[in-house]
Order: sequence, then C-alpha cells, then structure tokens
Amino acid sequence: MDGQQQQLDEADLIARVRAGDEAAGRKLYDAHVDRVFWLAYRMSGRHELAQDFTQDAFIRAFSRLNEYRGEAAFGSWLHTIAVSVILNGLQKVKRFDQREAVLDEAVMVPSRTRHAEPDLKERLKKAIDALPEGCRTVFLLHDVEGYTHEEIGSALEITAGTSKAQLSRARAKLRESLADFAGEWVHD
Amino acid sequence: MTDTQWNDDDPMDARLRDLANEYNRPTGVVPREAMWQAIAPTVRAAAQAPDIAPAGTPSITRKRRTIAPFAWSTALAAGLVLGIMLEREVLAPRGGTVDTTPRGADSRQVATTTPIPMSGATVVAKAPDRTTQVATTNTPQVERRGARATATNESAPATGSTTTDIGANAQQLYRLAARQTLVQAEALLTAYRASDDQPRDQESMQQAGRWARDVLTSTRLLLDSPAANDPQMRALFTDLELVLAQIVQLSGAPLQAGERELIERAMRDRDLLPRLRSAVPAGATAD
Repeated sequence: MDGQQQQLDEADLIARVRAGDEAAGRKLYDAHVDRVFWLAYRMSGRHELAQDFTQDAFIRAFSRLNEYRGEAAFGSWLHTIAVSVILNGLQKVKRFDQREAVLDEAVMVPSRTRHAEPDLKERLKKAIDALPEGCRTVFLLHDVEGYTHEEIGSALEITAGTSKAQLSRARAKLRESLADFAGEWVHD
Repeated sequence: MTDTQWNDDDPMDARLRDLANEYNRPTGVVPREAMWQAIAPTVRAAAQAPDIAPAGTPSITRKRRTIAPFAWSTALAAGLVLGIMLEREVLAPRGGTVDTTPRGADSRQVATTTPIPMSGATVVAKAPDRTTQVATTNTPQVERRGARATATNESAPATGSTTTDIGANAQQLYRLAARQTLVQAEALLTAYRASDDQPRDQESMQQAGRWARDVLTSTRLLLDSPAANDPQMRALFTDLELVLAQIVQLSGAPLQAGERELIERAMRDRDLLPRLRSAVPAGATAD
C-alpha cells in the first residue's frame, strides 16, 4: 500500500473514530502501537514503563483526536504526543534512576581484563544512559529508531538544526567515552 | 572523521552504530490486548463526549477539573498584559510621556513623575519641579502630558483636547490594570494561605504557580509603568513581586514545611495581605 493510500485510509479511520466507531479506533491503534511501544521501550529500557507510556500516549491521542487537523501524518502527530509522554514520564522516574546508577557505580569494580563484546555493550549502554537528556533522545530517535531530523524537531519542538547539533554532540561523547576500545578494532 | 556522521570506514564507528541498535533492544511481544483494555474506554468516551476524557484516564480528567477555576484568572491576566502593552505602543507615542524612565534629553522634561491615583490606595503626590511651571489645570497627570506635548511639538501645536483625552484614558487604563492586578494578588494570596492545612499535591501547586506567574507578569509590567510612580504603590508591587516569585519558583513540587514558612514569612514581614486589602477598595472585583 503506498503512502497516499495509507493516508486516505487513516483519514477514513480517524473520521470513523470521531463518529464513535470503536473498531476503527482499534485498527488505528494496531497500525501504530508497535512502533510507539518499541520507542517507549528503547527510551525507558523497562517493559512496564513502556506499557504505561504507550497507553498514556494513545489515551491522550484519542482524547484529543478532535485537535488533529490532518496537516501532518497521523503517525507523526501520534509520535509527537508519544515522545512528549515518554519524556515527561522519564522525568518522573529520573530521580530513582540516578540513585540506582550511583549505587551501581559504587559497587562496580573496574576490571583490567576486558572481554571486548560484552564489556563494550555494557559500556555503550552506560555511555548512552549518561548522555545529556536532549542528546540521548535525539541519538535514540535518529540513530536507533530512524527518525529524520525534521520528525525529531517536530516531536521535541526544536529545529532540525538543533537536532543535528544534539546528534553530533551525542556521537562525539560516545566516541570519547569508548575511545579506549578503538585500538582493539583496528588490530582485529 | 567528523562528529556529525558515523564513518563506515572507521571500525569503531561501524561497531558503535551496530551496537547502538542493541541498546534497550525490544524483546518479547507487544502487550496489545492489555494496553487496549485501558485505551478502549477513551475511544468510546471520545465519541460520546469529545471534550471529556473518560474515567479510565485519571490524569487527564483531574487536569480538566482543576484547570477550570484558574482559567478566568489566566484570561484576565492576558487581558491586563494586552491592555498595558496596547497603551504603551499606541497611546504613549501620541500622548507623550508614559514611561518615566529617563531617556536622554527627553528625561529632563519628565524628571518629575506624577502619581496616578489608585482606587482605594493612599496616594502621595510628589512636588513637581520644572513641569509645574507650565501646569495650569487641576489635573496633574493631564497637565504634564499637555506640557510635554507642547514641548515636543512646537512646530505643530498639539490638539489640547485630544491629548488630554488620551492622557485621561491612559490614566484610567493604568488605574484599572493596577486594581485588577491587586485584586488578583489578594485572591491568590488569600487562597494560598487558606490552603495551609490542606495537603497539596503537585498538580495543585503547579496550578497555583501558573496563577502566580500570571499575576507576577502583570505586576512586573505595572512596576515598569507610571502606575508605579506612587512610592507606596511601587513598594507594594515590589514586595508582591518577591512573594509571587517565590510561589512560582517553588511550585514545581509539593512544598516542604521550610519552603512554605519562607513564603509565609515574606508575606508576614511585609504585611502584604493587609496592604493589598487597603489598596483595593472594598467590593472591588477583577472586572
């Protein structure tokens, strides 16, 4: 199905949802729920949080469906809401996460011998977690989830240029954090 | 290698990019049915009553309920801001001096500020200096404006009655704006103190913060306007600004006892509520 046809179908579904057709709502939900859920999971790293964020995003979207004017694709509109819900939700659990991270670091004993892959994976995860919130969000949306800078800009209410700058900063920080691994790959 | 792109030729970049996809890689299945059970009531309710979220969405319904009492204050504050800005942009250039901030040579002619009488407020009139030489009518504010208009438009004599009307309108506008702001401030602070014994959640604190922010905006605009020429009024606005700023600053989360005490003490030390009440005539409303 091409994009135009999909948009027409979605417009029809949205009209039916507005008219009270629950089945149409379910179709709309089925068409988008996976991507929203995976995004929420990527950003939160927790299944139960991803579920909460996804539910909240759809609840907000459906309750505000009258505000959707069809100027952008429904998916873009929905993802803007989802990103907002996820970021707000993450703010609420951030304090707890920070405390947990401090405890993790306190009990972690640095090891001299590294097993490249598992260690690198773990280090990369920590490095991504340690990125400033804006950088991390843009990095995950762009490099992991495949959003364009325009889509990111729309979702985060920043310009595409700012999104690019944040991505650049994120990558530079990741390289810097993992610089001590560089030699191993060169000699592989 | 640049910072803006992954470099596929660089083994480190290539590896990082691959591994980044492993970050929080989703596993398992999406719990579609479980989530839909929570979402479906919203779809049904949205169709029945498009503007009201269903019972299954507590955060949204709570928000709508609590916003309503504050909506009028937001609208009023917006009106106030608009009124003051309009007066500044439209009336001031034609009527002459509204902003009393000295600006170069012009400041010599407006060095003396004439207070604008406030409803119910004690007004202390400063003794005019140079401008009194050309003041001939019984209304100080109008005199000053008339004198200024004459001074700045010597080649094209001012139309006296028009200038006087504009000056009177501006004066009335400031008086109204100041009164509305003070009424708002009194209502806000009274409500704030009255809620002392009630446990306050973050949502209600944020609502109070938004309300305080609106009143704070109006207060700051008035501080920078001729309405603050009255020393007593200026002092009141300044103290009010301090307390409102504290409320706004601490509105992001439920207040700790110490923070609340800080605000209470600021209000108490400055006799803020009694002064507000004396500045606002009894029965005045934020009309």
